[in-house]
Amino acid sequence: MKKKLLIIYRCFGSVQFTIFLFITLALASILGTIVPQDLSPDKYTSLYNPDIYSLLQYFHIFDLYHSWWFTILLICLSVNILICTCIQIRRISRLYMFKQEKIDYSIPVSSGNNKQFFSNKGVFELEEKLRVFLKSLMGCDAYCIKKNDGIYLFAERGRWSRFGMVFVHFSILFILCGGLIAAIWGFIGHMNLVEGQQSNRVILNGEKDSLLLDFDVRCDDFTVDFYDNGLPKEYQSNLSIVERGKPILSVPVRVNHPLKYRGLKFCQASYGISRESYAMIDVRNNRTGEETTLKMGIMEKTPLPGSESFLAIGTFNADYQGHGPSVPGVLIEKGTPHRIFRISHEGVVEGSETGDFSFRLMDFKKQYYTGLRITYNPGSPLIWIGFILVFCGFIINFFSVHKRIWVMISPLNEGSEIKIAVSASKQKEAFEEKLAILLGRMDRGNEP
Amino acid sequence: MNDTYILSVTTFVYFFAAFFYLSSLFFHKRFVERVALIFVCSGCALHTVAIGIRWIISYHLGIGHAPLSNFYESLVFFSWAIIFVFLLMIRRYKQPTIGMFASFFAFLLLAYASLSGQVAHEIQPLIPALQSNWLISHVISSFLAYACFTISFGASVVTLTRLIGRISTDTDFWEDVTYRMISMGFVLLTLGIITGAAWADRAWGRYWGWDPKETWSLITWLIYGTFLHARLIGKWRGLRMSLISILGFLAVMFTYLGVNYILSGMHSYL
Repeated sequence: MKKKLLIIYRCFGSVQFTIFLFITLALASILGTIVPQDLSPDKYTSLYNPDIYSLLQYFHIFDLYHSWWFTILLICLSVNILICTCIQIRRISRLYMFKQEKIDYSIPVSSGNNKQFFSNKGVFELEEKLRVFLKSLMGCDAYCIKKNDGIYLFAERGRWSRFGMVFVHFSILFILCGGLIAAIWGFIGHMNLVEGQQSNRVILNGEKDSLLLDFDVRCDDFTVDFYDNGLPKEYQSNLSIVERGKPILSVPVRVNHPLKYRGLKFCQASYGISRESYAMIDVRNNRTGEETTLKMGIMEKTPLPGSESFLAIGTFNADYQGHGPSVPGVLIEKGTPHRIFRISHEGVVEGSETGDFSFRLMDFKKQYYTGLRITYNPGSPLIWIGFILVFCGFIINFFSVHKRIWVMISPLNEGSEIKIAVSASKQKEAFEEKLAILLGRMDRGNEP
Repeated sequence: MNDTYILSVTTFVYFFAAFFYLSSLFFHKRFVERVALIFVCSGCALHTVAIGIRWIISYHLGIGHAPLSNFYESLVFFSWAIIFVFLLMIRRYKQPTIGMFASFFAFLLLAYASLSGQVAHEIQPLIPALQSNWLISHVISSFLAYACFTISFGASVVTLTRLIGRISTDTDFWEDVTYRMISMGFVLLTLGIITGAAWADRAWGRYWGWDPKETWSLITWLIYGTFLHARLIGKWRGLRMSLISILGFLAVMFTYLGVNYILSGMHSYL
């Protein structure tokens, strides 16, 4: 049993498993961008034939990133990172955690950069010199031990730089944890508010039901500015938070400047012209001479008095080709095709015949609605810890190098032998170069 | 002085740089290489000035923003980033082939931006979603990452041709360049994704939404992550590493261009 557990542990903690997960996640993600996500079922049935549809449906490909198997892959990745990082920490602490009595002075044989010198000086004289030399190379004092076969020196710098990568790997765990928490307890929803309206109903994305907040959000007013080229420059909703009928907070919300209240985030997502906008249109029935003023909503079929015809209007336009304010209109009559035209203050300015009627735009009340995205993400602090850890990890890894140097001085019959080995976690060439330069200088200064 | 005019001049400067680097490969003359380097440096100077001028002009137009906001500006900055990364590493790797790749890619990008006629050159005002302090850090780290990956791609193409064409089995130098550029690019891409996520949280209220651009940047990240783990821990070398690197670069290109042309998403600006 224990053996089996050990095998599973080894398997989950192997780099082969990491690579397998990386490739699988990448392939799955590619699939998720090829198959459009989260459409309505009838759109999918028009895209795929029934066999493929049911196959894709069976494997949850239509909501792949939230499917059980994708979640399992992410959990496997977390376990993999956790095990690997723990193994790494144990190795680091065993090898590099500092205890003077545990220093391994013996020169590592495996490093291919061992150097060997001979000198005619005595062991103790050389020890003094090499201490000074190590101090100038490493910037710290060397540890020294005397054994039967000679004197050993050891110096190291930047041991903690090995923790940079540990930070980076842990950060991924934090971010994945934060994401998991957000997926379970958080929500993303939206709320559309017409100017002056207030509501506490958040429509959840991807679900049919909605959520009721225990306070109201009111849109006091909405403004939008445009650039000369017609693109929006800035739009802003002035929101009020209403608790138990009392407005307690009033804040402007713009794109990139959300409102945070009680852990919820209110982002300015979109805007539009609300259906509560209306136009006052004068209608004259030329056959009967009857004249009325109609109050009409956008895209609503309104019966025309004294006839069986209907009129509908579209969105208001502040200045249509020099005719001033106008709305598009459609006249729906029995037995004739729809007639489309434009109604302004001057009457019908463009388009087809308007039959027995003449129309005139009297007034237009344009009302915007603001589209708010409302999100709740309890995993946010963990995600930020993750972000900061990644950053710290990279900084540590970037700016510090773990360097070690071993020196062994052993007495010979005449003079002594010096062995030097170095190791550096990166920038090996630069370190070795510096070593060579300093050695050369020592040679010239001291050797006869 | 018009910035787009300077940039079209810069295009040709990079072309000549690439040309001289190519000739230095055949003639093995230190002098030719020196000339190429002078071209690259002067191209980079012009390029930087042009970006600066464009930045200043945008303020004169009353819509001041860093020139990192539309397709044209992103091509120009991508090209600048490649040359910048190349100039940073040239002290270490005095290799004309890298110079040739860098200046050739910079030339291609600028040529497409300046001469194709399909890319609008105008300075456009920022739409509300882009009006954020995250813009500069997000775009700069992402494009510097792309630039590192471009140079690593060049190096792995050399490795691949050497191994497949049986020209030489000694590809240690090129694999080292590939590895170093990828590790640099990976760090920058990670920062790019993180700044992007932090920005998305402010603008859209969520860190990650599986938008095609986000997903493809993750795919790129996973491919290069595979590369780094395979090299550092699995000790893979040679052919399969250069193939992973090339695959990674294809993913970079798809993240940069393909997503916007083929898939649709919220990241509609490049």
